Amino acid sequence: MGVQLAVFLENRPGKLESITKALAEAGVNIRGIAMASEGEFGVLKILADDPEKALRVLREHHCTVSRRTVVVAMIEDRPGGLHELLATLAAENINIEDCYGIALEEGHRAAVVLDVERFPEAEAVLRSHGLRLLSDRELTSL
Amino acid sequence: MYWEQNCETMSRDELNGYQLRMLNQTIRRARKAPHYATALAKTPEKGLASLAELAGLPFTSKAELRSGFPYGFLAVAREEVVRLHSSSGTTGNPTVVYHTRGDIAEWENLIARCMYSTGVRRNDVFQNMMGYGLFTGGIGFHYGAERLGVMTIPIGPGNSKRQIWFLKHLQTTVIHILPSYALHLYTLFPETGVDPKKDLKLRIAFIGAEPHSEATRKKIEELYGIKAYDSYGLSEMCGPGVAFECLMQNGLHLWEDHFYPEVIDPSSGRVLPAGEEGELVLTTLKREAMPLIRYRTGDLTRLLPGDCPCGRTHRRIDRIKGRSDDMLIINGVNLFPIQIEKTLMAIPQIGHNYLIEIYKENYMDRLEVKVEINEEVFRGTLSELERLAARVTAELRAEIGVTPVVRLVEPSSLPVSEGKARRVIDRRNQG
Repeated sequence: MGVQLAVFLENRPGKLESITKALAEAGVNIRGIAMASEGEFGVLKILADDPEKALRVLREHHCTVSRRTVVVAMIEDRPGGLHELLATLAAENINIEDCYGIALEEGHRAAVVLDVERFPEAEAVLRSHGLRLLSDRELTSL
Repeated sequence: MYWEQNCETMSRDELNGYQLRMLNQTIRRARKAPHYATALAKTPEKGLASLAELAGLPFTSKAELRSGFPYGFLAVAREEVVRLHSSSGTTGNPTVVYHTRGDIAEWENLIARCMYSTGVRRNDVFQNMMGYGLFTGGIGFHYGAERLGVMTIPIGPGNSKRQIWFLKHLQTTVIHILPSYALHLYTLFPETGVDPKKDLKLRIAFIGAEPHSEATRKKIEELYGIKAYDSYGLSEMCGPGVAFECLMQNGLHLWEDHFYPEVIDPSSGRVLPAGEEGELVLTTLKREAMPLIRYRTGDLTRLLPGDCPCGRTHRRIDRIKGRSDDMLIINGVNLFPIQIEKTLMAIPQIGHNYLIEIYKENYMDRLEVKVEINEEVFRGTLSELERLAARVTAELRAEIGVTPVVRLVEPSSLPVSEGKARRVIDRRNQG
């Protein structure tokens, strides 16, 4: 499992930049990032190498941040790689609220960040199907 | 030219005598209401000896009206009441005003008097674009126009294409409209292919329910090629029909056989001499269900010196300059910032800071409410934010009767709540 930070953002020029700047200056490495927006506002999702530090930095910058536990699963970077993972969750009727991918080594390995309901059960399901799930520490060292 | 020549042109001496008689009757009636039984306890049983003595009586505030809800100001038996009108919302209490059959008849007559004085006659066609319902603007003019005998189209506000269709096909000659809506409506004519100056028979507009400048009136007159007359009223007195411009368009005759005006310094309460600007205070002279003594309207104006060439002896007030309190008027709807605050604070997903901004968009007022989200309940999904924005919009609309533009903002972007934060920024310049 990993810790994902979700930041509330007004959709204005320079907003995203102010966040990457704060994290860069604090020496936080962003391992994964995704953005969902609705026009006037959005939610920025960050997978950081040091989530607790990132959380502290963002709060110091008056950001509205939510800390969520997510599944980070390793998949092979090939056709069908993601599908096999999703098929296992679908078979167990586990709903995915949010999902984005990060390529780790092109053509070799990739990771998928999954925000799922029924969290521990989802992890167990994936493990039982032989998928490798990354911990925070592993995320840092990838 | 006069609907009731005797009333409208009686000599000042006669009018003052009449006012004193009606004032003492009003005081006697008002004492039957629980509020005034206490508030007027020290007023002599036989009443006042002169109009000047009125200045010794206590004011009646909107706050007292609210705390008297529901029947603290009712001076007649409940079964004498045939209608009520009410302000928006349920925060605190709304201001509810009751009417007997007699009150309604007097109100209708006043509106008929106003309309007649500007030249409206039975062969006119009247399209009433004000809101119907708890708001007094629509219904007040509706019954007044019927009393005058004018064919009345109770179309209400909005739905601009249908407004233009009726204006054209029924050859409407008289409208009652918000000044901001009159300007907005004009911009929609080109797409309908109707030329307001060539294709319409429009000749008179009654504009009111929101403060506006002389420049706005001139603009409406020029755009449509009509005359526009300012209308003033407030639901506490009856609704529209309290004061109205005559053909001279040089101030609004306040119908002094129905209402006694004073202008006071809003901070000291001192009565100001004629011509000085202050808060308008009104005493009803004929109202039965809910007589009000020295009611503080919150409206800033002055009593204009001198006589009007129209021959009416009732004094004129200047167009309304603003408010002595923080009441907001959004497209003719009256509301208080506290209604917004209380609604927001009852929603746990939002933080304590908020900002109200009002601006013009295509001539209409827009009310924007910026709110912070509460980090403690933020789960980090977009859908919860969308739901939250929709919920805040719906709850505010239910409370204030205006659909706001709700913007979720980051906490740091709003002024902090310490001290007296400025919560309302009004970017409209009345023009």
